[in-house]
Amino acid sequence: MADRRYETLVVIHPDQGEPGVKELAARIRKLIEEQGGTIGQIQEWGVRDLAYVVAKQHRAFYLLFEYRATSKALAEIERNLKLTDSVLRLVSVRQAENAPPTPPRTVRRFEREDGEPEGADRENLGEEMP
Amino acid sequence: MMKDRSERRGKGEGRTFRRRGMGRRKVCRFCADKAMLIDYKDARGLGHFLSERGKIIPSRITGNCSRHQRQLTTAIKRARTVALLPFTAAYP
Repeated sequence: MADRRYETLVVIHPDQGEPGVKELAARIRKLIEEQGGTIGQIQEWGVRDLAYVVAKQHRAFYLLFEYRATSKALAEIERNLKLTDSVLRLVSVRQAENAPPTPPRTVRRFEREDGEPEGADRENLGEEMP
Repeated sequence: MMKDRSERRGKGEGRTFRRRGMGRRKVCRFCADKAMLIDYKDARGLGHFLSERGKIIPSRITGNCSRHQRQLTTAIKRARTVALLPFTAAYP
């Protein structure tokens, strides 16, 4: 069966603390490898504010896994993650084969040279009116 | 009867359709700048396309083309499931 490129973003309960997250990351890595997947990279985003409250938590730890696996393996990985109590949310996405790997967090942003805020060009439109 | 209709048609042809309000056609910013990628992990970038209430702003207003608007909506929905973006405005 053809293996595909996937990435999974996992939201982890902050109560685990840094060592708990490290351990969990190692466990998920093992899980992926056991399913015949090959890890591309693992990214730790650290503790981030959540957009809404999840499990009474306002903040949570984010982990991103990039790997190759078969679709069956992915189903098993997802099933396993969902059973893990400290995993609050997860999303898995298939990546294009030629897509560049996700750059580290700090540079992750929309590439806009002008730092204009959104509504700006909407206002301009009004001004340019004859 | 016939005369009436032809007259009406004549009137319609003479009318000029002008764009109301706006002076310039909005361009899809993702088409204009190929380096700008739509990624569900980029909460800050996607946030530009949300209203204050957390609703997705229609392409009618942002000027996005339908293809990129579709990609944008799926990205926003993915980001919502992992709490990177809100479903609704923050609750006090």
